Amino acid sequence: MSPEKTSAKQPAGIISLQGVHKSFKGRKVLDNINMDIMPGESHIVIGLSGAGKSVLFKCILGLLRPDRGAILINGEEWFTLPIEEKLQRMSCVGVLFQGAALFDSLPVWENVAFVLRRQGMNKPEARERAAEVLEWVGLPDICDKMPAELSGGMKKRVGMARAICHRPDIIFYDEPLAGLDPVMSDVITTLMKRLHERMNVTSLTIAHSMKLVREFSDRVSMLYEGRIYQQMARHDIDSSHDPVFKQFIEGRADGPIQFTFSGSDHGKEAT
Amino acid sequence: MYFLEAIGDAVQRLAYALGLYPLLAGKVIVRLRKPPWFFPLIIEQCEMVGVQSLPVVLLTAVFTGMVLALQSWVAFHRFGAESMIATIVSLSMLRELGPVLVGLMVAGRVGASFAAELGAMRVSEQIDALWTLSTDPVRYLVIPRVLAAMLMMPLLVLLADAIGMAGGYVISVYALDQNPHTYITNSYDYLELIDLYSGLFKAMVFGTIIGLVSCAEGYYCAGGAGGVGKATTRAVVVSAMSILIADYILTAWIFK
Repeated sequence: MSPEKTSAKQPAGIISLQGVHKSFKGRKVLDNINMDIMPGESHIVIGLSGAGKSVLFKCILGLLRPDRGAILINGEEWFTLPIEEKLQRMSCVGVLFQGAALFDSLPVWENVAFVLRRQGMNKPEARERAAEVLEWVGLPDICDKMPAELSGGMKKRVGMARAICHRPDIIFYDEPLAGLDPVMSDVITTLMKRLHERMNVTSLTIAHSMKLVREFSDRVSMLYEGRIYQQMARHDIDSSHDPVFKQFIEGRADGPIQFTFSGSDHGKEAT
Repeated sequence: MYFLEAIGDAVQRLAYALGLYPLLAGKVIVRLRKPPWFFPLIIEQCEMVGVQSLPVVLLTAVFTGMVLALQSWVAFHRFGAESMIATIVSLSMLRELGPVLVGLMVAGRVGASFAAELGAMRVSEQIDALWTLSTDPVRYLVIPRVLAAMLMMPLLVLLADAIGMAGGYVISVYALDQNPHTYITNSYDYLELIDLYSGLFKAMVFGTIIGLVSCAEGYYCAGGAGGVGKATTRAVVVSAMSILIADYILTAWIFK
């Protein structure tokens, strides 16, 4: 599907990617990505490390400009907008970054209420709202702590509180469970599910964890060699017979995706 | 062939590096036309650039003034022109040594801090996070730093000039037995306003160079912790070299 043809079509999804291409130094990272994410849907993008998930994530957020194609959010292509309007529209989006990306120089409550303060809310009110959201993610009484004083799991939850404090319509999660212990992973997954159900938000998640896919997704896309290799509803995951997809969800080193490592019994040199 | 490729790569890297500074300067100029300007952040950065640099700057200035007086005495004593020490100290401090030495000190202290801070924010995705939190990182991070460096440098130089001249006075009067009244008179009699203004103007230009170069290095930093280290080094080196080059160009232009 060419981007020229598709850009004239009214997008069906709240997020719509049409023929998105992105290369770095001649290497194709995203190759003709077409994807529609419906309002209220929880969509998870899975794929091997280096498959282009983070590049896709950054392109959708407007942090990287695609070489070709269109990315529409709420039916609008943000790349064509002036910076001020793009930033204004960003308020409908909340993002949880892989490392939480909290601002080191601000206390927790100012991190959480960052957008509210930018929108002109006064300090006491913003602080109160931040405290409420922090309590919701299970972190009461940490308003005045600095990010450096928090553990990885706490940072993730503060990051989540910051992502939802301004009540966005769409939430992006970049590897939300990366680097967490199993218990904290379950806490974050539970919070994501609660958030999705109660706030009726649309979610786009980049993940490796099949547990998260099974518990949190409505639909799954697998990114492989820069393309959307498979896209399916969550309940179809286990019935897929595609060997590449099966290898990924089963987490096996042997299979059609081959790796080379010294003394390997599994793979031969990738061709 | 390999040689040509190596030259091509080097030219490409240089063009990329040199392109960063005008690119960021353009972004800053475009954004300065419209609010928001984040005044509290500008004041915070002014405190960081101005107040926190004072000890380093004043210490440099006082010893420079003292050494200048001593060295000038050695030379002028040979032909009995010791009374001119005051003029040499004040002219040198105001026109050259004040702005250049303060510029180099601030490039080392503040430039490194700007590049490291923004570089760390870049590699830990905090700059990306600012975008997603409806905040323009150039307005929020870069403009306050560039403005603070631009505004604080002339003030630091003004103080450095005064302290440097005072250092020269102390050495000349108390160590070299000069007449205090003659020293003070000679300090001011041969000065013109352009000597002061040119130094302050240079300081403002140097401040802008430090702010832009250091912020560009940090803002466009890539490559994890190693990248932040390299960006910090480049920020200091490029700022210092640019100050020396700009000093020659400005001197040639102002006093032509």
